[in-house]
Amino acid sequence: MTAPGEEASVTSDFVRSYVITGGRSLPAADDLALHTLVTLAPGRTAPLGAGPEVRAIWELCAGGYLSVAEVAGHLELPVGVARLLLTDLFEQGHLLRRAEPPRAQNVDRAILEKVLHGLHSFIG
Amino acid sequence: MTSLIRDPLLWILLVVLVAAVSAVMRARRTNMALRRTKADLEAGLTRAHGELGQAQVRVTALNTQHQHDLADVRADAESATKAVLKSAMGTLQSLSEEQQVLLDTLLKKYGDDTEVLADLMSVDHTGSQFGRRAKGISVLCGGWLGRRQGAATVFDVARSAQGRIKDFDRVGVHTQVNVSIAGRAVEPIAVVLAELLDNATNYSAPGTPVEVNIQTVPTGVCFIVDDAGLGMDQETKDRAHLLLSGDGTVDITSLGDPPHFGFAVCGMLASRYGFAVSVGSVSPYGGVRAVIRVPESLLAAGGPAPVADAQDTTDPEPAPQRLAPVPVGPSHVVGTTPGGLPKRRRRQGSPIAVVPAPEAADGGPEAEPDGEVTASRLGAFARGTQLGRITNTTEGPDHQ
Repeated sequence: MTAPGEEASVTSDFVRSYVITGGRSLPAADDLALHTLVTLAPGRTAPLGAGPEVRAIWELCAGGYLSVAEVAGHLELPVGVARLLLTDLFEQGHLLRRAEPPRAQNVDRAILEKVLHGLHSFIG
Repeated sequence: MTSLIRDPLLWILLVVLVAAVSAVMRARRTNMALRRTKADLEAGLTRAHGELGQAQVRVTALNTQHQHDLADVRADAESATKAVLKSAMGTLQSLSEEQQVLLDTLLKKYGDDTEVLADLMSVDHTGSQFGRRAKGISVLCGGWLGRRQGAATVFDVARSAQGRIKDFDRVGVHTQVNVSIAGRAVEPIAVVLAELLDNATNYSAPGTPVEVNIQTVPTGVCFIVDDAGLGMDQETKDRAHLLLSGDGTVDITSLGDPPHFGFAVCGMLASRYGFAVSVGSVSPYGGVRAVIRVPESLLAAGGPAPVADAQDTTDPEPAPQRLAPVPVGPSHVVGTTPGGLPKRRRRQGSPIAVVPAPEAADGGPEAEPDGEVTASRLGAFARGTQLGRITNTTEGPDHQ
């Protein structure tokens, strides 16, 4: 009963992402940017009947702040899909989020030079 | 005497006698001729009867041979068609699989762009349906489905099946069961469930729900599909029963036009892999209830997968590298640097300290040697920056 085709392995993702989202429209990227940090709100219990992805997020975020990009990476899901799941949890009050730290501004060249000189004199 | 000779009556009598005698003679001749003809004809008839009998025997023999030849030709044509279709479908199957793998990559690559992601998902959805069709036809032609590496939970099998039909958003999957299907049976069961879901959504009103309930039974696990359609008529039930209880041979030309592959595919896979599919009972919603019963031999060994409740399971995988928990509130930010970056306190309440695992942070009172602390911090820092670089490169350049 072994034909060549039988042993051919199938490697595509078993559960397709549109099933995980339930065909719902995805939240805009601005809602939860890639670098937004999320964590579990204290004293919450996982919603009844939560899917494996939500449970995985629960375990991931229980320990501390994790960025949206990292959550998606650990779940091996597209960021948009992870974002939808995170938005759900956020709206249900299970998650806390913190905006990404503001980008560093261009610092005055003079200051950098001073720092450099300082370091030079410090190190020798 | 003369008077007698002169008597016209005598002459008349004579003439009549002569006429009568000649008539009798002629009749006798005719009679004889007719008797001969009759005898000839009877002989001919007997001969003809004999020939007819032979001809009938011959016709019967020819008919039998014809039926036999016809069946042979049909079987030949069927197997030739199947061979061609199997090979053609095999190509389509691998193309479809290739496309799905490609889409997996694309979905992750463009995951941050909502619109592109949504479009890719609809492409993925049609691709999955296409793949299911190709797989179904291939199976009917004696082809194989391909094998998934590793077991999959019944919930994932149901969701995978859900993704292969058009109206997947009408399907609800409910399960409290935490059982996994063995790798070799994962694809077949997903394909069969997808066919049943396709039937259920096609033969019930748009917008009505289709429910999948998964339950354990003493001999294994059952996938129960209920729809709220009008049910099946007796003819369809009989046909379905015939196909589902089949011995694994299906005449693909007898499936109608357009062909109804569904039950045939189910019957074929069920007999090949040793699970049971039945339809025909009435669902609680008045529609059809279809059941796949998977025997214990097709379940993954080692009991339930460790998912269940997050509270009482121990995570066997190493905890992912993450930021330490921080007290909620503004207190952890001490101030801002001239550059505008938030300035934070170090250690103890350190808000963003990269630690390998949260357990390590509150590991115990005994202090580690200074060198090790430094080394672990440096290591954590290196890992953190590396993680950051990986994230940046895989998520695209627009979020640097």
